[in-house]
Amino acid sequence: MRRLSFFLPSLLLLLLWQAGSVFGWWNAFLLPSPQAVGETFLTLLLNGTLFRHLQASLGRVLVGTGLAFAAGFPLGVFFGLFPRGCAPFLPILDFFRHTPPLALIPLLILWLGIGEASKIAVIILASFFPVFLNTLGGVAACDRKLIEVGRSFGLSRGAIFRTILLPSIFPHVLTGMRLALGFGFRALIGAELVAAASGLGYMIHDAEMLSRSDAVIVGILAIGILGSLLDALVLKVSSRIAPWAFQEDDVHGRP
Amino acid sequence: MDALDIRNLRKEFLFDGGRFPALKGITLSIPAGMFAVFVGKSGCGKTTLLRLVAGLEEPTEGTVGVRGGGVPLRTGIVFQEPRLFPWLTVEENIAFSYRSMGKRPTEETLSALIESLGLTAFRRAHPSRISGGMAQRASLGRTLLYDPDIILMDEPFSALDYFTRAALRDDLLHLWQERRKTVLFVTHDVDEALCLGQRIHVMDRGEVVRIFDVEDDYPRDIASMSGLKREILDAIGNGTCCGAHHAKEKAAEA
Repeated sequence: MRRLSFFLPSLLLLLLWQAGSVFGWWNAFLLPSPQAVGETFLTLLLNGTLFRHLQASLGRVLVGTGLAFAAGFPLGVFFGLFPRGCAPFLPILDFFRHTPPLALIPLLILWLGIGEASKIAVIILASFFPVFLNTLGGVAACDRKLIEVGRSFGLSRGAIFRTILLPSIFPHVLTGMRLALGFGFRALIGAELVAAASGLGYMIHDAEMLSRSDAVIVGILAIGILGSLLDALVLKVSSRIAPWAFQEDDVHGRP
Repeated sequence: MDALDIRNLRKEFLFDGGRFPALKGITLSIPAGMFAVFVGKSGCGKTTLLRLVAGLEEPTEGTVGVRGGGVPLRTGIVFQEPRLFPWLTVEENIAFSYRSMGKRPTEETLSALIESLGLTAFRRAHPSRISGGMAQRASLGRTLLYDPDIILMDEPFSALDYFTRAALRDDLLHLWQERRKTVLFVTHDVDEALCLGQRIHVMDRGEVVRIFDVEDDYPRDIASMSGLKREILDAIGNGTCCGAHHAKEKAAEA
């Protein structure tokens, strides 16, 4: 019953879309009917086109956010542990944080070519900051009183780092990773719209060239659904690893 | 044998460009196995004293000798708040001192301790799921399993309700009578001091102003100790509260 009510608004939206198409509230070229989109979806799915582009985009996102994590997490911890020494670097980071990765595409293509590297670079630029800033915030928010418990048991700095600091920043890093996936995904689609020969962004761009608004919508739906699924997967895996970080949510009835 | 030997211990905190004397040269010794209580108003330096003994603060001057036959003794502290790790279960929290060394206590030891703390039903629960009293029991268990030679307790029951406080006080006495560890117990509650202490140190403005040895057997009838209570209250006096620790925390926040 709860499952049903959870999806009720989405179903209503779908119904509205269907009604609009049936009663001709808008031109079918501007917004094709759910059936038309569904048929195109099936065609693209069955002939492998959708899967090929999806795979290309997903691969880039995973590699890009993976690299962003590999850079953002240790840097966030380091900046968090030594805030004074790292402060002079903040203006540079701030500058890049406020620069949309898409604005850098011309330069990235110039430097890295039109291949995979430039698109992965766009994802890294987009997803580095959520990881970095959330990790940094996690270290800053780490309860000093818990650190003191470690000191009172005579723990070394290394042991305090491992057994107290790292677990306590986990929820922050997780939030950072979720945001990073979303940011990276969005930046990638942008990059694929501008310069790519594969990927969901390219698929949308290609359909646009052919005036196939139904295929454009299939692409948009694929992006939205894939993003939601990725997020749900990250949540699921992390709630397995760290159930304590989600208990507050349970109280408020998270489905 | 003395478990603790404190000589001319001074501690000053710096804040707002000024110096604040939290402890003004304390000299005292505590015999091994004694239940020593430090009582005084908020800001009299009792928490600072405990933190210096625990090694969480460096003294401005003087020494804290924590020895047993020349070997440094281990201290373990129970804080005012439980300070449990939210990512560990009650059981894992209690075993924390072992976990952090990559070891595990024997199942027997752990179960017996958890049982004696009345936490058996909650051993696999996370701290967010248990009450304040249970959390403070778990915190006490964590320090007990660390097996320190000196147990330091910083107003450990002050945040609990009346009934829980009374129950935990009894449990603590029971555990202490079993194990005979040296305990340094800080409180602002004179009744609590009377109920627990073999020796009660009254502190005021960074100094130990009076020491009372209490020889009554446990459990004690506080009602029959009104004369001593009067004396302790007089010793605490009406001096202005200086708030060293709080002032320091404020300075750290600023």
